Parts: sequence; structure tokens; C-alpha cells
Amino acid sequence: MRRPARRPRHPGIPRTRMVLRDLAAESVAGILQRPARTALTVLGTLLGVGAFVAILGLTATARGQISSDFTVLAATQVTVKDVGAPDPAQQTGAATRYDFPDDADQRAERLGGAVHAGTYWQVFKTPPAVSTRSGPATGAAAGSQGAEGLTVYAASPGLLQAVGPTLSSGTLYNTFHDSRRMHVAVIGSAVARRLGISNLAAQPAVFVNGTPYTVVGILQNVERLPNLLLSVMIPGRTARADYGDPAPDYAATMLIQTRVGAARLIAQQAPLALRPDRPDHLQAVPPPAPHALQDSVTGSLDSLFLLLAGITLVIGTVGIANTTLVSVLERTGEIGLRRSLGARPRHIAAQFLTESAVLGTLGGLLGTAVSIVVTLSVALAHNWTAILDPWTTLPAPLIGTLTGLLAGAYPALRAARIEPAEALRR
Amino acid sequence: MPVQEARGEATVTAAPTGTPAVIDLVAAARTYPGPPPVHALRPTDLTVRRAEYIAVVGPSGSGKSTLLNVIGLVDRPTGGHYRLDGIDTGRLPEADRTALRGHRIGLVFQAFHLLPYRTATENVMLAQVYLGTPRARRRTEAVDALLAVGLGHRLDALPSAMSGGERQRVAIARALVNRPSLLLCDEPTGNLDSGSAGRVMNTLDALNDSGITLVVITHDPAVAARARRIITIRDGQLAEDSGQPSVGSPA
Ligand SMILES: Nc1ncnc2c1ncn2[C@@H]1O[C@H](COP(=O)(O)OP(=O)(O)OP(=O)(O)O)[C@@H](O)[C@H]1O
Ligand SMILES: [Mg+2]
Repeated sequence: MRRPARRPRHPGIPRTRMVLRDLAAESVAGILQRPARTALTVLGTLLGVGAFVAILGLTATARGQISSDFTVLAATQVTVKDVGAPDPAQQTGAATRYDFPDDADQRAERLGGAVHAGTYWQVFKTPPAVSTRSGPATGAAAGSQGAEGLTVYAASPGLLQAVGPTLSSGTLYNTFHDSRRMHVAVIGSAVARRLGISNLAAQPAVFVNGTPYTVVGILQNVERLPNLLLSVMIPGRTARADYGDPAPDYAATMLIQTRVGAARLIAQQAPLALRPDRPDHLQAVPPPAPHALQDSVTGSLDSLFLLLAGITLVIGTVGIANTTLVSVLERTGEIGLRRSLGARPRHIAAQFLTESAVLGTLGGLLGTAVSIVVTLSVALAHNWTAILDPWTTLPAPLIGTLTGLLAGAYPALRAARIEPAEALRR
Repeated sequence: MPVQEARGEATVTAAPTGTPAVIDLVAAARTYPGPPPVHALRPTDLTVRRAEYIAVVGPSGSGKSTLLNVIGLVDRPTGGHYRLDGIDTGRLPEADRTALRGHRIGLVFQAFHLLPYRTATENVMLAQVYLGTPRARRRTEAVDALLAVGLGHRLDALPSAMSGGERQRVAIARALVNRPSLLLCDEPTGNLDSGSAGRVMNTLDALNDSGITLVVITHDPAVAARARRIITIRDGQLAEDSGQPSVGSPA
């Protein structure tokens, strides 16, 4: 036999290649061949990525809402409750009681970081008759309207300051009125409207179950205890002189307005400062640490939903992996053909990897779009400002791409390893 | 079209010894590892020269496809040497074997292997992807190849809408579009009626006349009769019908 001389390893024939555009075209063609299967496969990634973006968007939106509304107010108030004797044997829980000292406002306000402090309680169990003239309100005579459903609160002078009041006219009553147990009242703007009181120059009075109280001021607004706007407030000592100590169900509560950051310390100190002899009769409620609160609520929801989104994404990944693997097995003949036409194993792998990446990206894009719509409509329904962080929203489709690449890795490797002779036998 | 280099002298049965060898098998063998191992191709010497037209005949399971896969660089021999155009393919890395396969060899399969969702033209164009043919040239070259096999009227037909003979000719056009010097056909008329088979055979004749080296596997004596050389294979053992010395089995 003729044995030619040895040849160099490289025969001088250019190696085969697959340019990016062909890779994209072949992959897209492969996907479009089976539109229904493609749609179902994309659905998994769509849901996973969509859930991720929607959860991030919704929690950011809700959190933004919470922090703008409540943070400052909640962080700067302490309430102290009159819990009476903790020992049930004394049975004081059944009787009326008032465990705050007479100078409770001053004691509390002396604490470092406290701004204003005062006590309040609801005076009557059943709604009293409130009107602008003595005797039972008929409502017939002009200028003598009565009003139903109004509450009467005993409120110390310090409390009126602590609620952050805005007066529409007149003044607040003060310690002078309180210590003399004078019959004065501050009423909320809603009450004033219902009773027809607008001009305080004439020193109008409200009659509570027939007892007159001179109205000295009308509250237009309060930052705390908004139900005061629907109430008649009379000085605490006046109330105790007229109606006795608060009933057990309506035990007195102290509200302390604090500077930012002081509330927790004040909550620790208040019971002892107010009742050095019996601090156990009082129970201070510190403000919920605002971030701790939100983080504990939304944080646990976040992680739960993110876990669900993660699981969905894993299912989506498995779906893509499965579809791609099935497609590799189905198209074994095609793989053999491509190899015979000059495709190298890497070209085959790249094609299937691109197919799965395109599937994942498609899911990511659609999922992001859907979740943006969801976030916007939820925000719109609640009258919230939608907050979508571009740094998390814009790259979200890439999660889909990564999912697709991950899912396609094994099938692509399998496809690349298929022997052409073996594949062509199919 | 795929006129490689016209040679008028590819005559009679034997190859002129002066022409360079396209295929040169030296004790090439292919054994499928068992158990039990199948000696699909026993150690074989075979030389095929430029512009020859060879028919390979033999019973089913005798190793015809195995031989064609080895020659087509789709499979590697488990023993011996194979030189294609003088290049020792056994020493080549896979990437270079693939390059040779893509540039020099056209393969036509018995099962056609057409992609069902692509038209005749698109199926032919698939062969141009991996050689990096400029996109602008692909369609015209593919159409030219289809015209050459007489399918000018079926350019945009899907395989499902074509007859067996038409599909086979699309497969031939795809094998030809990159202008290979060697065309290997595995039972190109296996499933065709005599009319379609005749048209396919005429196409192959014309290609051979234009200078392409042709190796055709067939069961059909009518097809084999068209070839200049007939090689019989039985149980992996090659024998030349005409008793030419260029084929044999070393001890
Ligand atoms: N991957 C394989 N593993 C084991 N044995 C195989 C494999 N491929 C083929 N064979 C065996 O090798 C022998 C030759 O197979 P081959 O496909 O080359 O036959 P053939 O002549 O092409 O037959 P046909 O005319 O039916 O196509 C057969 O006995 C077959 O069973
Ligand atoms: Mg066969």
C-alpha cells in the first residue's frame, strides 16, 4: 500500500464556526417551533420572577407608606396605664380608682426628654346628654341643639398639650382651672359644629347632664387621640370632684409626649417617678420600636413570600431544564445532522443553552412587566405612592436569564456529548 | 453549481492510478464494544480516487453504514488509518475532523434528516451556518443547489408536503451546497419508487460527471449498475466485484 508522508496536525482547513447571529436565529427558531410548549415553560419563570418583583415592590410601597405616616408620632409617645393593685385579694379592681398623684403631670414632665404629659379617662359609661342649654334637650328651639353620641373626657391640662392640639379659637384650660376645679371645657371642632358654637366671646356653656361648663377653647385638630375631636374635655380634678374616680372599665391613662429617642427610657422610669410608693399600680407601655415593628411584620411576610417566589423560581428552572432535555432527546437526529454539517460539540451546546436562556429571559421580562402592573394597581387601589426601586426592577429579567442558563447547562452538556454516528442512526 | 473540477477521464471500473487518492483506508476497522463486541467493519484497505463513482452493496447489517460513517468522519475507526485527501484523520483533533467534514464531505442519509418546520431552501441553508457563509449569499447558493437537483419548483415547500424523491433530492442539495469534493449517500433510493429513484440516480450521475467523488450505498442492483466500481461487503468484510486490486483485507 502507498503510505504518504506524515501530515501536519492542522490540514489548513478553516475550522467551522457559528456566528452570534446564526446562534440567535437557530435558537429562536427552535423555540418558536413549539409555541404552546414554550408558553407553558415560560410560565414558571414568569411566576417566579413576577413574584420576586411584586413582593419587593409591594413591601417597598407599603413600608414607604408606614414610615411616612406613623414613625415620628409613634416613636415619641409613652402611655402609662392605671392597672390598680395587681393583687386580686385586695379587690380594688372592682372599685373606682385613681392611682396617679395630683401632680402627675409635673412629675412626668420633669423626666428627661419628656415634653408634655397628662392623664385622661372617659367620665360616663353611657353617653351623657350634651346640649347648649339646661334641662332636657328638645332640639326644637333655635340655638339650643343637643347632640347624641358625644363623649366626655376628663383630661388634665398637661394632656391637652401632649396631644399636639391646634386651636381654632379660645385657649386651653390650665392648672389654674384644674386646681380650682372650675367648670370649664374644651370641645372638639366636630362637637362645636354640632352644638352650633362658634363665637367664644359670649362665653357659651355646654350642659353635660344638666351641669354647665364654660367653653374656653375649640380644638381644630390633634396629632394624637383623634377621638378627642368628638368629645367634650373637662379638667381632671373638676371631673373627680363632680363624678368621683374613674370607673374600673375606664381607668385613667397617662399620655407622655417625648422627644425623639427618649420614649423607651421614659417608659422605664415613669411608674417609679409617678408612684415611688406603689410603682406596680402603673404600667408604662413603651412605643413600639417603629423599625422593629415594621421589620417584624413586613420582614416575616417578606421572607415568607420571597421563599415562595424562590420555590416558584426553582420550579420554573426545573420546567425549563425538563423542556430543554426533552427537546434534546427529541432532536437527537437533528443534532447528528448538524454535527455532520460541521457543528462542533460547543456549537450544539451553545444552541441549547441559548434556547433555555431565551426562555428564561422571556419569563423574566413578562414576569417583571406583570408584577409592575400588579404593584401599580395595588398602590392605586390603596391611594398609595407606588415605590419601584429601579435597581431591583430593571435587572429583574436577568434573574430569568440566569435561571434559563442554569436550567440549560445539563441538557446542553448532554446534547454536546451525543455522538454523531449514534444520533444519525435515529 | 457544485462543479468541483471537471474531469473527463473517470472511466471504466478501475481508478486511474495517476489520480490522487481521495479516500485511503489502511487496515481500517470498526468494532462496537460489546458485550459481545460487534466487528462491524473488519480491517479493510480501500483506495478511492478523485471522481470515482463507487457503489457499496451488501445484505442488511453487513456494515455498509458503518463504513460510510468512517469515511464521512462521523465515526472514528477503532483500528488502522484513514487518510482523506492525504490527511491522516486519526491524528486530527475533533475540531479539525469537523472542519474537514463540513468543508469536503457531503452526507446524504437514508432517513433524509430534514428539519420538519423549515422549507426546502431553509433546510439547504442550514448547511451553510457552520461554514460561516455570508448571509447574503446563502439563499442564492441554496436555490442554485435546489435547481441543480431539479427542485426549482419546490423551493418553499415544507418536507411534509414533498414526496420521498423530492425530500431525498433536498437532502442531496443540502449535501452539495458547500461544494464538497466527496459525496456519500446511504441508500439514496431506498424508499423510492422506480421513477423517483431514476431521477435521483440521474442527479448523481450528473454530479459525478462534474467531477465529484461519489460513494453510494444501495440495495438496488439498478443503482449499483450505474457505478463504475461495485464493492460488496459481507459481515464487515469488503470484496471488489470486478476483482480490482485496490480493495482487500490484510491478514
Ligand atoms: N452502536 C452499535 N453498537 C453495536 N452494534 C452496532 C452498532 N451499530 C451497528 N451495529 C452493528 O454493526 C453491524 C453493521 O451495522 P450497519 O448499520 O453498518 O449495517 P448496514 O450494512 O448499514 O445495514 P442496513 O443495510 O440494514 O442499513 C450490524 O450487525 C449492527 O447490528
Ligand atoms: Mg445502513
